[in-house]
Amino acid sequence: MAVVRRIPCVVEALEDHGEHVYTVHLRPGVQAPRFKPGQFLHLALDPYEPGGFWPDSRVFSIASPPEARELLAVTYAVKGDFTGRMERELRVGTSVWVKLPYGDFVVDGANDVVLFAGGTGVTAFTAFLHSLVSGAESRVLLCYGARRAELFVYQPLVEDCARRAPSFEARLFTEDRDGRLSVEAVWDSVTRLHAPIFYLSGPPSMLSAISAELCDHGVPPEVVKTDAWE
Amino acid sequence: MAAERGGDSVSTRTEILALVRRYYAEKFGDRSFDAATDPVRYAGRVFGAEELCNLVDASLDFYLTAGRFTEQFEAGIADYFGVSDALFVNSGSSANLVALTALTSPRLGERQLRPGDEVLTVAAGFPSTVAPIVQNGLVPVFVDVRLSDYNVDSALLEAAVSPRTKAIMLAHTLGVPFDLDAVMELVEKHGLWLIEDNCDALGSRYRGTLTGTFGHLSTLSFYPAHHITTGEGGSVVTDDEELARIARSVRDWGRDCYCAGGENDTCGKRFAQQFGSLPYGYDHKYVYSHLGYNLKATDMQAAIGCAQLERLGDFTAARKANHATLLEALRPFEDRLLLPSAPANADPSWFCFVVTVCADAGFSRNELTRFLEANRVETRNLFSGNLLRHPAFEHIERRVAGELTNTDAIMERTFFVGVYPGLDEPRLEHMAEVFVRFMNGERADDGASGASSSRAG
Repeated sequence: MAVVRRIPCVVEALEDHGEHVYTVHLRPGVQAPRFKPGQFLHLALDPYEPGGFWPDSRVFSIASPPEARELLAVTYAVKGDFTGRMERELRVGTSVWVKLPYGDFVVDGANDVVLFAGGTGVTAFTAFLHSLVSGAESRVLLCYGARRAELFVYQPLVEDCARRAPSFEARLFTEDRDGRLSVEAVWDSVTRLHAPIFYLSGPPSMLSAISAELCDHGVPPEVVKTDAWE
Repeated sequence: MAAERGGDSVSTRTEILALVRRYYAEKFGDRSFDAATDPVRYAGRVFGAEELCNLVDASLDFYLTAGRFTEQFEAGIADYFGVSDALFVNSGSSANLVALTALTSPRLGERQLRPGDEVLTVAAGFPSTVAPIVQNGLVPVFVDVRLSDYNVDSALLEAAVSPRTKAIMLAHTLGVPFDLDAVMELVEKHGLWLIEDNCDALGSRYRGTLTGTFGHLSTLSFYPAHHITTGEGGSVVTDDEELARIARSVRDWGRDCYCAGGENDTCGKRFAQQFGSLPYGYDHKYVYSHLGYNLKATDMQAAIGCAQLERLGDFTAARKANHATLLEALRPFEDRLLLPSAPANADPSWFCFVVTVCADAGFSRNELTRFLEANRVETRNLFSGNLLRHPAFEHIERRVAGELTNTDAIMERTFFVGVYPGLDEPRLEHMAEVFVRFMNGERADDGASGASSSRAG
């Protein structure tokens, strides 16, 4: 983990995806530090006075690519008091503080990988997907589930990856149309990969279900990486 | 009892800092030099009003432990080197201890250093380059150095490697980069770890690249004798985030959690992880994955460092210029004094001006240093000389690859004087003049003056 820095940011743009799901684009007041795909930041709504204590904050995966540190993006769904405040208070021009980078949920693109993403959990993978290159030798299978098709917030990015990277395959599942995302449903794609590493990001119920199903399919636990949150 | 309040504190703080600036000018503004009475130090703090203001500013925060200045300082060092991580610690020696101990972490799997593994190093240097090797149950392997630049003789390194050799830990002696071409070749060939003890070489370059960026880890010292100062202080520098996390753990009691002081749950999993045989969800703040220390420094020290870092470019230029001035002044005595030189590809930010008295000079090192000291020119030996001749190191488990002939010569005949940025033209002129007087035959009993008689023994 690189040196953590606390930096003031201004909301540059807001995207309302509906169903209380938003993407916030933040313009850092100073150069943001290096980060890796899959790492996260802390976002604070209350003012931070350098020299004082860090205010109440929540963590969000950095959804923007590491190469574009002049504009940081996070995607969130309103689930509690803090994200409720974000929905009410964040407007273009609002000042916030962030500190970053944190976390070691970093996709190792040197191996074939399977990415299980549920809802906004996909943001743990978007920075990695941004950096996918057309000539990559290792293969990437994204298994992306959402409640409804409108909530595939990053579908354009997924489609772009599919166009430019032949080694990339996406399997999208909507609960109202396809049922819940499951290992069984994608196992045919998984078996085409070579010794893949599995990365799981999403709500706790999805993480425990997918973990158990992977175990049932004989996947050793040491190749399953989970982005678990309290 | 005091609690944090707003109100007029901002304007009061501004007033205080303005007064600090005035105090600086009154207290430290006079840089005059009287050659008849004033000493010429080998090193010293060089600072301006900014350092003093930052120090007071940090003390007014009363955050005390690592805070905003530590964050700024660590980021500044990492940016200077163009690496991911810099950890502020309480000394360069602690930095060496943290760096070497990090390589013993079980998190490194097969590459973990284990007791009995060998580490190549030299005996002509500072003890805390070697002590962490011994303290971790590893075996130092001593290789002789060159008299030309006081660094490891790279021609001897390959022969010193054994099947048990797992790492190299070397200092860029007195600011001069060691032969990084040869060392890096060896590192790659044998899959060795490399720790650069860069404590005396902040700002030095090799083939245009900063020393401290070649190894897996490197270290810095900010003791007042060094290129920048925080009083006590040092840093571990690395571009490997896994090593940085381990080093941070070693520095911070061995804990697994990486939250800064005063922070909680920055990982978002404080009560949701499994470690060892602890109950699931045991508070991550008190989970220990290493046998660590507490080697952190304070925010006041970091505050000074932030201001010092701004001066590093000027400091480096001054050290080079001062070194060049002394070299020019002593060039006529090359028949009796071995003068410092940097190897090809090396661009040192000199720690000092190092001299070895030739074996057939007709006078001893101690005669010369006695004369210099008697005339208020401060000198130092090249640290330990031969470390293996010191009581603490005489009986350590070690291997010596070949003879330490030059190491012993350094112990007998080498010393250094200063080139630090606090030396201005009058001080350098005085130093050169004292050298010239000695080389022309004057001796301590003839030329001593002032308080020198009590210091000349």
